[in-house]
Amino acid sequence: MHLAHLRLRDFRNYARLDAEFSPGFHLLLGDNAQGKTNILEAIYLLATLRSFRGVGGAQMVRHDHKGYFVGARVVGQGTRQIRMYWSATERQLSLDGQPVRRLSDYLGVLRAVVFCTEDLQLVKGPAARRRRFLDLLLSQTHPTYLPLLQRYTAALRSRNALLKQSLVDAMAFDSFTQELVSVGNQIIALRRELVPRLSPLARLAYRRIANDAEELKLAYQPSVKTDFAIELAASRARERSYRMTLVGPHRDDLALMLNDQPAAQFASEGQKRTLAIALKMAQAEYVTGLHGTPPVLLIDDVMGELDVRRRSGLLPLLERSHQASGQVFMTCTEENWPRELGRRLQRWIVSAGSLRAVDSAPTP
Amino acid sequence: MSALPEPLVDLMAALGRLPGIGPRTAERLALHIVQADPAEVDRLATALTTARLRVKACERCGALTEAQPCALCTDDRRDASLLCVVERPVDVLLLDKTGVFRGRFHVLGGKLSPINGVEPEDLRIRELELRLTAEPIREVVLALPTDVEGDATSSYLARRLAPRGVRVTRLAHGLPAGTGLEFADELTLSRALEGRRPLD
Ligand SMILES: Nc1ncnc2c1ncn2[C@@H]1O[C@H](COP(=O)(O)OP(=O)(O)O)[C@@H](O)[C@H]1O
Ligand SMILES: [Mg+2]
Ligand SMILES: [Zn+2]
Repeated sequence: MHLAHLRLRDFRNYARLDAEFSPGFHLLLGDNAQGKTNILEAIYLLATLRSFRGVGGAQMVRHDHKGYFVGARVVGQGTRQIRMYWSATERQLSLDGQPVRRLSDYLGVLRAVVFCTEDLQLVKGPAARRRRFLDLLLSQTHPTYLPLLQRYTAALRSRNALLKQSLVDAMAFDSFTQELVSVGNQIIALRRELVPRLSPLARLAYRRIANDAEELKLAYQPSVKTDFAIELAASRARERSYRMTLVGPHRDDLALMLNDQPAAQFASEGQKRTLAIALKMAQAEYVTGLHGTPPVLLIDDVMGELDVRRRSGLLPLLERSHQASGQVFMTCTEENWPRELGRRLQRWIVSAGSLRAVDSAPTP
Repeated sequence: MSALPEPLVDLMAALGRLPGIGPRTAERLALHIVQADPAEVDRLATALTTARLRVKACERCGALTEAQPCALCTDDRRDASLLCVVERPVDVLLLDKTGVFRGRFHVLGGKLSPINGVEPEDLRIRELELRLTAEPIREVVLALPTDVEGDATSSYLARRLAPRGVRVTRLAHGLPAGTGLEFADELTLSRALEGRRPLD
């Protein structure tokens, strides 16, 4: 699948943008603060309806304007037309001219994996980061996962609200607990199934990038050890004093082990960077394996942070993943773009909210 | 400062408080009304106040009605041993339209919602229990929304009614998950009714 056309109106620092993209490798070159990352943000938004910078719609509207428009033509099995409009008072999302009624009808039209400096938090940050990583991957690959997760969150919020009351209606409490357990068990099952499939992909990617013998292993660390309902009941006394639900998939973690040692504590800075990229590569490979087509790869500022050895490990992986009519978008400054990539790429100059193709480079 | 006459601004504000009407629609409707034939506006005003005065909740089932109790509650041809519990008055209309359900109805007037402070006492559950004592009801069919709060309300009712020995069933899950009845077409609704099953 590839993004064939991107249209932006009043999105970040783009007043208007219309760009055609072929499949293959696209390098977005430009000085700082010109709008390179903003392009990746728009593509990711099309894929997931969220900003990878973790901000809401208001921040993406061009300063002093009412709303943004992001439109795209995506070529995969067929050609799909996406149009998205956001303003403080109005939200529109349409696919091939029809308003989108259910998220699950939409997600999957464009799949993307983003690599950015923030990914380091997957290794260094709290468990919530790694849960979000698993959740995103499952939402991309499992049509029922997102509604399930929303349901779990709703049940959890209800149950926590009950725990905060001074006088809890026992029957009502049991009813919401039953919901939490039945949905929670389905989430646990899907995560438990995913991690062992992801682990070898991440291990392989790590090896190739690091080019050494360290063993990377991922392990699912569920909050629930054997029986959700029983463990929940056993935690009632503690729940009463904390006034919230203490057991369940909202407390899961994904353990990252390098040579059987937890990476967050024992890995070097360079190893952590490599590990974060390996996780994202694994995500891309997993999505490719499941759907037969590679997701669009969005790579933001990652190259500048890697040493030569790791760069030369990563680039072949990226080149491989844009074969089979895939697509890669990579941002770089003029100084640090990987010239070793050679001629098989399309270069673009990004400057002050405009995009210009550098025609000297032949399109792949 | 607004250049619009004050009564027009008031009208726009009043219309804008109606569900599903945004500021733009409110403005369009208000502008239409102040320029329409006065007789027509009179008829609209009368229709509004009359409807509000004459339509009440049925004291027995909670559906909207002019007579007390409502026609559904007094219709002898309906099966008095079968009672369908719904969230809102409009759900009665939706289910009755399917023509498959021939029993009576009971409107809860909401669903359990700890986040919004809706507790069992806020719903018409006492009224439901009184009806179970007063009427020859043998089966209670729960036709509540399938979101978390709706499902929790269903299992709450199943727990609470269990000691009474009445059969409690719920609509089969042909319904789109996580939604209310209005998203289901009539065919889906009537299939869901036929496939109803007891709560575990
Ligand atoms: N909502 C917005 N409206 C207008 N300009 C914005 C908005 N958000 C960010 N910008 C501008 O976009 C530029 C940063 O774009 P970005 O894509 O992050 O740059 P880079 O090329 O370094 O990746 C800055 O000049 C910033 O002022
Ligand atoms: Mg940037
Ligand atoms: Zn009635």
